[in-house]
Amino acid sequence: MRQSRPANPGRHPVVPPRAGVALAAALILLACGCGRSPSSSAAAGPTAAGGKVTPGGTTVTIMARSLPGVGTVLVDSQGYALYVFAPDDHRAITCTGTCLGTWPPLMLPAGGRLAAGPGVKSMLLGSDPDPAGGRVVTYDGWPLYTYAGDVQPGQASGQDIDLNDGEWYVINPSGQPLIPAS
Amino acid sequence: MTIGQRPGRPGRRAVLLSAGGLAAGAAAASAGWALTTSPAAAPDPASSTSPAPPADLAVIPPDDDLMREHGVLKRVLLCYREMTARIQAGGPLDARDLHDAALVIHDYIEGFHEGLEEGYVFPRLVKAGQLTSTVTTLLVQHARGRVITQFLLGQATARGVTSPGTRVRIAAAMQAFDRMYEPHEAREDTVVFPAFRQVVPARELADLGQHFADLEHQQFGTDEFAAMVARVAGIEQNLGIYDLAQFTPQVSQYTPPT
Repeated sequence: MRQSRPANPGRHPVVPPRAGVALAAALILLACGCGRSPSSSAAAGPTAAGGKVTPGGTTVTIMARSLPGVGTVLVDSQGYALYVFAPDDHRAITCTGTCLGTWPPLMLPAGGRLAAGPGVKSMLLGSDPDPAGGRVVTYDGWPLYTYAGDVQPGQASGQDIDLNDGEWYVINPSGQPLIPAS
Repeated sequence: MTIGQRPGRPGRRAVLLSAGGLAAGAAAASAGWALTTSPAAAPDPASSTSPAPPADLAVIPPDDDLMREHGVLKRVLLCYREMTARIQAGGPLDARDLHDAALVIHDYIEGFHEGLEEGYVFPRLVKAGQLTSTVTTLLVQHARGRVITQFLLGQATARGVTSPGTRVRIAAAMQAFDRMYEPHEAREDTVVFPAFRQVVPARELADLGQHFADLEHQQFGTDEFAAMVARVAGIEQNLGIYDLAQFTPQVSQYTPPT
């Protein structure tokens, strides 16, 4: 069965300062047909936008930024940490169902393109099909996610968290998940 | 595909309701939460004359379902409280009980229930411009709770529960978890979920109820709620706090003299 994505158009819309931005992104998706059809899932709700999409819907920029406690890691264009899910193992999206509510994937809109910010290797950027529809941005094969618990840019509160049947890590510009030494 | 009753498979909630929740099913129907085989066939929520659906087709509303899951959380909080008291009294603590309790939180509450809130409930409130500050706090608390749970799972070993220093840290972690989640879930039950119900149309609520059931089924299989309750009951029995009657107070000192 096709996995349904939560109504959340990304973790970010739940964060008040960003709600307007995410809502705008959702509306853009609906207008251009980039997102999932609202009728495809009741849970998709009126926003029906799936994961986090960069406002404007055409270019998704991945940045590198030094965050407290973890060092220089990949962030989205607004400074929110990006995570990888160990079970994905460079290959495919395995976070489905309610996992998507906590870890909204970074979506690449249909017709959109990827851009590497300073310090980010453009050759490592890519995208994978999302089982729930659309495409998810990848880095060195790792699907990228955001975390609901990061309520402000510059946080990495999901680092080294074991949740939804696997470990979650931030990832550095070389494409290495930051796995703490045990 | 639309989210509705799958042909040939009654939803989990349908099973539960047909097993004895007729009153709840009727209440849900009167509130416009009935779900039939397709959203288009759902009764008009505005119509007070809509007949109650057959019990086996009724669906637990999503907010009611979330509150029921809070009941599981509350029972684990009570287990944590009991274990904390034992540590503080210098008594023994079985690492398996601690591990099992933390694992219920990890798998069911943090890995499922909170995903529903984060994916379906909070975004709708923020979109509606309601409770935005509260939602931010709840999200932060989810994140902090996951850190505490990870700590407890890591310390739930025979060595951990016997090491004096570790016992103190375990007790402090459980206390912090309880202190945070008691008001957390109470605020959600009394403020957040009612607000959610107000911003989501009745028909969509019904669809979400079935969708929540489907997600739960995918993640945990059939009868997962009953299984989770049974797991917690087992921990309570091990801790000696299962018997409800033991908590009934004597009240002779409160009754007026005759």
